[in-house]
Amino acid sequence: MALKKRKIEWLDVVAILIVSFFAVCIVLPFYHVLIVSFTTQKEYLDTPFMLFPIAPTLKNYSTLFADGRILVGYRTTLQILLVGLPLNLLLTTSFAYGISRKGFPGRSVIFYMVLITMLFNGGIIPLYLLMKDMSLTNTLWSVILVYGVNTFYMIIMRNYFSSLPESLIESAKLDGSGEWHTLFTIILPISMPIMATITLFYAVDRWNEWYYSMIFIRKSSIQPLQLILRSIVIDSQVATHISTAGINLGDIQFTFGLKMAAIIVTMTPVMCVFPFLQKHFVKGVLVGAIKS
Amino acid sequence: MRISIAQDYRTVLIFMEVCLVKAKTNAVPHALGSRSGAEKNRLMKWLISIRKNWMVYTLILPGFLWYIIFAYGPIGGLTLAFKTYKASLGIWGSPWVGFENYVYVFRDPAFVASIVRTLQINLGRMLVTFPVPIILALLFNEIRSRKFKRITQTILTFPNFLSWVIISSVVITLLAYDGPVNHLIKSMSGAGFNFLGNEKVFIPLLYLTEIWKSSGWFTIIYLAAISGIDQDQYEAAEIDGASRAQSIFRITMPNIMPTIVIMLILTMGNLMTAGFDQIFNMSNAAVRQVSETLDMYIYRITFQAPPEFSFSMAIALLRSVVNMMLLLLADRGAKLMGGDGLLG
Repeated sequence: MALKKRKIEWLDVVAILIVSFFAVCIVLPFYHVLIVSFTTQKEYLDTPFMLFPIAPTLKNYSTLFADGRILVGYRTTLQILLVGLPLNLLLTTSFAYGISRKGFPGRSVIFYMVLITMLFNGGIIPLYLLMKDMSLTNTLWSVILVYGVNTFYMIIMRNYFSSLPESLIESAKLDGSGEWHTLFTIILPISMPIMATITLFYAVDRWNEWYYSMIFIRKSSIQPLQLILRSIVIDSQVATHISTAGINLGDIQFTFGLKMAAIIVTMTPVMCVFPFLQKHFVKGVLVGAIKS
Repeated sequence: MRISIAQDYRTVLIFMEVCLVKAKTNAVPHALGSRSGAEKNRLMKWLISIRKNWMVYTLILPGFLWYIIFAYGPIGGLTLAFKTYKASLGIWGSPWVGFENYVYVFRDPAFVASIVRTLQINLGRMLVTFPVPIILALLFNEIRSRKFKRITQTILTFPNFLSWVIISSVVITLLAYDGPVNHLIKSMSGAGFNFLGNEKVFIPLLYLTEIWKSSGWFTIIYLAAISGIDQDQYEAAEIDGASRAQSIFRITMPNIMPTIVIMLILTMGNLMTAGFDQIFNMSNAAVRQVSETLDMYIYRITFQAPPEFSFSMAIALLRSVVNMMLLLLADRGAKLMGGDGLLG
């Protein structure tokens, strides 16, 4: 069918027009945010809609970094990421591999116990009380530990491991390889696509996390990036002057350019890993797993 | 609390044991002469199997412990719904009060209003935003230029990977009273338009931003379903003289119906909770009247007023139960209509 050249019908035109419209609607706001972040307040007030700034400036960025709050956010988020991401991967991979092994007593009971947590959870209050009882509130450990295994990602991984040939594991066993050894030397090297996808998903989740931090952490010196952005843009906009994160914004005037620069700084890392992420899930690694 | 975690752990172990014993006794064939002997035999086999697989348990243990502490621990905290929380006594020591919390909570008109509002917003969300990715997927499927497809798909999926904090930041700065969109409106009509503090446009704004953020991502799921359709069907239809529009409605749509139904069931199961991140970041005091959904209400009574942990737990439990019932109901409905449903 693909070989036959067909003439262009109205359907082709409509499809391309509508999809292009969506794409433009998504690109335009980001483009606007990007150029305003390079514009001085004066130029912006004269021409709020511009295609390109006449006199591009880095002043917004230098003011933003000189203020230092965004750096606190970066440092905190990176700390959470550096400790939290390996923890996510260790817990998820070993659990998913273990549960994918067949024929050990208790397998289905454990699996159903995990599935129940997807449907039913206690919500934020018992978690908060739990963190308080373990004296973890106001420390990064609360945010790191609260997100250990994402059941959804775990199941995707388990499905992948289950699809691997059993003979591979059996032959390793005959060679006297223990389960952990098999996982690291035989299973992981052939599971790189799924590992990359799940790693990136966890990384993006960690990067975007703000809710638990808002509840568990009240100290302004360890606020993650998202909450700093929130206080810079959203709280200063609604002019309540009382930030949810408890950060006092009274001492600096956040201009449009500064706010846009803060948005760009927060989303750039996600933008950088996105092409890699896209490559994997479009291949169908993930989507195939979602269906099953 | 540490003690209570241990308690929880024990309960779960007992639960597991009960399940296993039950499974074993069911499996014992009654026709066998010496029943106790067979049972003993099975027990031995079971123990040997555990011993043989001990290493698998060490694989599962770290993740399992995490589930017990951070997922099952809080589920135990749901008992607070029937207690009155005393900080000095903790979750387990607080006295039981039966359904008193519910009686109290249902007397609060703001609570009942928040439930109605949640259902309104999320049913509207289902009507307005749910079909968008399906339509997009059908359109994508008709586009023949691979390069165009790849680029637009990348653009459309991207916003889904940003947090609502970032998306709201963008939306709020663009639509602010002194923002660029209002500059344009002012230059054309003379007067600005209040987007953010306007009760009338708040909910449409929710739907629009939701479509903007995640319709591209859900499109991928439907596209995957479409790519699984047997191409022979299309060729046969073409030979029979079917138009492309006919192929879409007679072949593509019926084939992706199971996926649509599954997505619909999942959406139903989320009817009481959907959209908290979005509404929390987009709303402000001026639109409180239309933005206080159930989760926003729970957040307010938990963390803003003097904390009322017991009341909010009572509501959270109710919400979970309702969500689960909706999910099961939708699943049942799907099966009655001849579909596959979600749960086997």
